[in-house]
Amino acid sequence: MPEVAQEARFMGAVTALSMHEMQNILAIIRESAGLMGDILKVNARVDFKHRSNMERTLEHISTHVDRGKGLLEATSRLAHSPDDDLLEGCDLTVYARTVALLSERLVRLKGAAVNLSGPSTALPVAVGALRVLMTGYKAVQWAVGGGVKDGVVGLQIEGGQDFHVLSVRPPQGVSPDLEGVAFLGALLDDGKVEWDGTRLRILLPARRQG
Amino acid sequence: MNTSAWNILLVDDEVEFVSTLAERLELRGINARVAYDGESALKAVAENEPQVMVLDVMMPGIKGLDVLQRVREERPEVRVILLTGQGKTRDGIEGMRYGAFAYMMKPLDLEELIRTLREAMSAHEGTPDA
Repeated sequence: MPEVAQEARFMGAVTALSMHEMQNILAIIRESAGLMGDILKVNARVDFKHRSNMERTLEHISTHVDRGKGLLEATSRLAHSPDDDLLEGCDLTVYARTVALLSERLVRLKGAAVNLSGPSTALPVAVGALRVLMTGYKAVQWAVGGGVKDGVVGLQIEGGQDFHVLSVRPPQGVSPDLEGVAFLGALLDDGKVEWDGTRLRILLPARRQG
Repeated sequence: MNTSAWNILLVDDEVEFVSTLAERLELRGINARVAYDGESALKAVAENEPQVMVLDVMMPGIKGLDVLQRVREERPEVRVILLTGQGKTRDGIEGMRYGAFAYMMKPLDLEELIRTLREAMSAHEGTPDA
C-alpha cells in the first residue's frame, strides 16, 4: 500500500470532522430557511410590506447553501483521500468532479471558469484519491498559470481499455508552460502525463473490478 | 399514496435540524416523530412502529449503523434511510450492506427526501409482516 505522511492523515482526519460539523450547520440553515419559505407559501394570500424582500433573501440562502454543499462535498473528499481504502485506487469520475469543485475559486480568481464533461458512470483507476486530486488540481493551476483574462478551463474524463484519462484544456489564447508537463508527470508513480497540442492528458491505469 | 397514513421516525442528534425537518414534513401532511439519539430511536421503533426511519449515521452514543442493525434484526419491516456525511459514501455503502433502504447526504433536498420516503413506503407495504 502506498505510504501517506502522518501529517496528511492528521490534517485529513481533523478536516473531515470539521466538515461534518459544517454539514450539520448547513442542514440547519437549509431547513430553517425552508420552513420560513413554507410558511410564506401557506400564507400566500396574506400580504405584508416586505414579503418580496423576504422571499428574495430566502432564495439567496438556498443558492448559497447549495454552493456551500458543493464545497463541503469536495473538501470532505479531500479530507478522506488519505484514508486506507482510497490509497490504492479510486473512482476517477468522482475525483475529477472533486478537482473541478476545489479549483473553482482558484480559476475564478484568474477571471476564468471550470467546466467538467464526460460520463457519469464509474471509472475506477489504480491510483490513490489523494494523488489524483493533487495531480488534477496542479494541472488546473498549471493551465491558468500564465494568467487568463476570461475563458474556460475544460476538464474532461474518458474511459479507456488500459487507461482512463483526465484531460485539462487551458483557456483559449493561453500558451501553457510546456516544461511544467514533466513536473506534473513526476507527481504520478503510476500513469503518465502528456501534452497533445491542445490539452494535457493525465493517463491513469484502469483498475479491473471483481 | 395518502401521506396522512405515513408514520415516519426522524433520528438525529442535531435538535434544530430534525425538529425543523419534522415541521416541514407535517406542513405537507406527513406524520413525523423525532428522536435525538440511538437509544430513544430504538425505543420509539418498539413503541410507535414507524414504517420508515430516517437515521443519521454519526451520533454520540449508539452509532447509526448499530441502530440500523438492531432495527433490521428486531423490526425488518421498517425501512431505514441513512443520512451520511458529504464525501463519505463508504458509510452509505456499508449501510446498504446491512439492509438500509437508501442513503442520502445532508443538507437534504426535501423533495428528494419525500420521493425516497414514497419509495420506502411502497416497499414497506410490499412486505408480508407490514
